[in-house]
Amino acid sequence: MMRLTLKIWRQASTTAAGRLVDYTADRVSPDMSFLEMLDVVNEGLIKKGEDAIAFDSDCREGICGTCSLVVNGIAHGPDRGTTVCQLHMRRFKDGDTITVEPWRAKAFPVVKDLVVDRSAFDRIVTAGGYISINVGGAQDGNTIPIAKDVVETAMDSAACIGCGACVAACKNASAHLFMSAKISHLSLLPQGKIERHRRVMAMINQADAEGFGSCSNEGECEAVCPKEIPISNIARMTREYFRAMFVGEY
Amino acid sequence: MKILIGVTGLALFAYLLIHIAGNLLVFFGPVVFNNYAFVMEVKNPLLPIIEIGLLLVFLLHVYKTVRMFLVNQRARPVRYVKKKWAGTPSRKTIASVTMIVSGLWLLAFIIIHVKAFRFSAEYEWPAGGRDLYRQEMETLSNPLVVGFYVLSMIVVGSHLWHGISSAFQSLGVDHPRVTPALLTAGKVFAVAIAGGFMVIAVWVYLHQAGRVRV
Repeated sequence: MMRLTLKIWRQASTTAAGRLVDYTADRVSPDMSFLEMLDVVNEGLIKKGEDAIAFDSDCREGICGTCSLVVNGIAHGPDRGTTVCQLHMRRFKDGDTITVEPWRAKAFPVVKDLVVDRSAFDRIVTAGGYISINVGGAQDGNTIPIAKDVVETAMDSAACIGCGACVAACKNASAHLFMSAKISHLSLLPQGKIERHRRVMAMINQADAEGFGSCSNEGECEAVCPKEIPISNIARMTREYFRAMFVGEY
Repeated sequence: MKILIGVTGLALFAYLLIHIAGNLLVFFGPVVFNNYAFVMEVKNPLLPIIEIGLLLVFLLHVYKTVRMFLVNQRARPVRYVKKKWAGTPSRKTIASVTMIVSGLWLLAFIIIHVKAFRFSAEYEWPAGGRDLYRQEMETLSNPLVVGFYVLSMIVVGSHLWHGISSAFQSLGVDHPRVTPALLTAGKVFAVAIAGGFMVIAVWVYLHQAGRVRV
């Protein structure tokens, strides 16, 4: 069993000022996930009649993209290719101090404590991250020929769960990795190519309007991405942008 | 999108390559150096176009990057209390996080540098044109000036360390085989260019000192 000191960002509402508050977590099992540890802390707070720490979570198996904590200065914590719900307390030592903060970006306002509003991502997808053409019913297998490596790259990009860690890690709070994953996933496939020009333009314009920053090509996003999506997608998005700029009708 | 920043950045990088190639002629003595300057400055009808073009590229690079920096600052109004670098495979370096600082330093350096070598008192070279060799020798005879130049070349190297490969990435150049080579080549060129100019400045200073002793 471990005893930890937690410094957790508490903020009553979007407009309220926030601050780090110290908590002690006793009897932390190394087998607990990070979120289970927070659950136990919250049970203690509720028993004492205090306000529980608000944080987002849903599937708790690393596939939904809901959990969103910056742990000791790294989005989703110290493990590579892992959401914070899949981070386990065995990664820490007895007596450690752990700082927990929300994603920080103008486009991701804090709702309460560690919960942020990521609907800006939804609006970027709404702007063009979809296929609206009628592709008919389900095709027989192999009737649409796609090269194996292309379909693999598209699938790797489609692995994006939209958690927003890329924005949280980027010094410019840029949404480029998220956008480029969606654009790569769709534009590499035959059904998605048809609307590629208007898609890239609309999504980039929407991201700018939401107040995300630009890309400095550092790749902090790739390093924290729980799905390990590479920044080569961002270069692909730029090529899509060139294509739209020079030959696109949108 | 950083298309103009990437294009102007690569254009300035290309200019630096020409610049250092010309400067290295200083090692061949005043005749070769001044004749090269004569051909480039006096015998070159395109000079005004090149100079104005270079100035526009430079101003565009400064304007776009400063504006981008300000927009990026606004994208995170509340900063992290604790923030760490994520490590591999991130390309983040001291050079990459200080691009705005190194850039503004270079803006100041280039104003001083252009004033010293483009808009200053001139010595005539008997065979035609300016005696730029003598001007360089005299300018770099002051240890404070040499120190400032060497320091500024470290800043150039830092800016290029991230800038060269970043410019290619900003223009959509990416390939599993090409990208690792580009990342390495960018750093090699950064060191070569910065080191080259530094060697010239220090050599000129020592050369001067030698002449004074004789």
